Amino acid sequence: MAVGKKDIECPPYAEGTPLSDADIKQKKVTYVEDHPDIRYSWTAGQAISKFLNGLKEGKILGVKCNKCGRVMVPPRMFCELCYKPIDGWVELKDTGTVETFSISYIDPDARPLPEPVIVAVISIDGASPHMGIMHILDEVKPEDVYIGMKVKAVWKSEEEREGAITDIKYWKPMEG
Amino acid sequence: MIEKIVNPKELRHWDGRIELYWIYTSGKAGDEFFKKLMNEEKFLAAKCKKCGKVYFPPRIYCEKDFSETEFVEVSGEGCVRAFTVARLDAYEKPLEKPEIYAVIDIDGTDGCLIHLLGEVEPENVEIGMKVKPVLKPKNEREGKITDILYFKPL
Repeated sequence: MAVGKKDIECPPYAEGTPLSDADIKQKKVTYVEDHPDIRYSWTAGQAISKFLNGLKEGKILGVKCNKCGRVMVPPRMFCELCYKPIDGWVELKDTGTVETFSISYIDPDARPLPEPVIVAVISIDGASPHMGIMHILDEVKPEDVYIGMKVKAVWKSEEEREGAITDIKYWKPMEG
Repeated sequence: MIEKIVNPKELRHWDGRIELYWIYTSGKAGDEFFKKLMNEEKFLAAKCKKCGKVYFPPRIYCEKDFSETEFVEVSGEGCVRAFTVARLDAYEKPLEKPEIYAVIDIDGTDGCLIHLLGEVEPENVEIGMKVKPVLKPKNEREGKITDILYFKPL
């Protein structure tokens, strides 16, 4: 019942049955298929909820710990170094520094993108060094990006913002 | 202590959907079985050439002695070995009519099949009852186990 062309030599006891996508589509073999409807709801929690509500107002919020003195972003309710609750909220600047970056030529389904996307970790000004978020860079060519580059957030308009990380459209290089 | 969000509307969540899609092919023996059922309304089993064990659904080799099997035709009729009556569907919604699921030992084989029983009321089903398969009309068959609508009492 072998379907398709066999190019590989193997002993008869190890012989498989090659199948191509076309064999399936032409219903050369019998099969069952399913497309289960799997949904989830992920709760953001106290700290990230406040962070997202801040984005809606065009603000990047961080938290501070008075013991170690760190200003942390994304915010959390506990300082993981001091193992104690954080001490307060801090409004940060919407500027930062490229910590690291990657150029992506494919989308999450591994399909080629028409234009590459630059994904970067950006440490936020006003937070402790190397504290930052992952986001997208634009208005810059991939070959011109460098670690240490100063960048600024480009926000959606107030009406468009919905309290999501995508309320920042992308980050662009700061002039000068 | 830091002030917390108490208004539940200010607490955020994300709804998502996981894309999952799969195709499960019947395999060599399963493919023979379903094609024979779909096209000829016949049931295939597989007999071990060495020990004579008859597999249903068919297998391409014997699980006991790893020797080859050969296809043999069987009637598809059998006996109810065990059964259960479902009154809720997979989402726990009440069913209009209860469904009877049974393990059916297929005559002339050492194998069995789990399928629905039809044309019988739950209270009249008994273990050891002789049943025969009822197939979909030929133009509706697609080479799946649901080509058998149910088994009915002989």
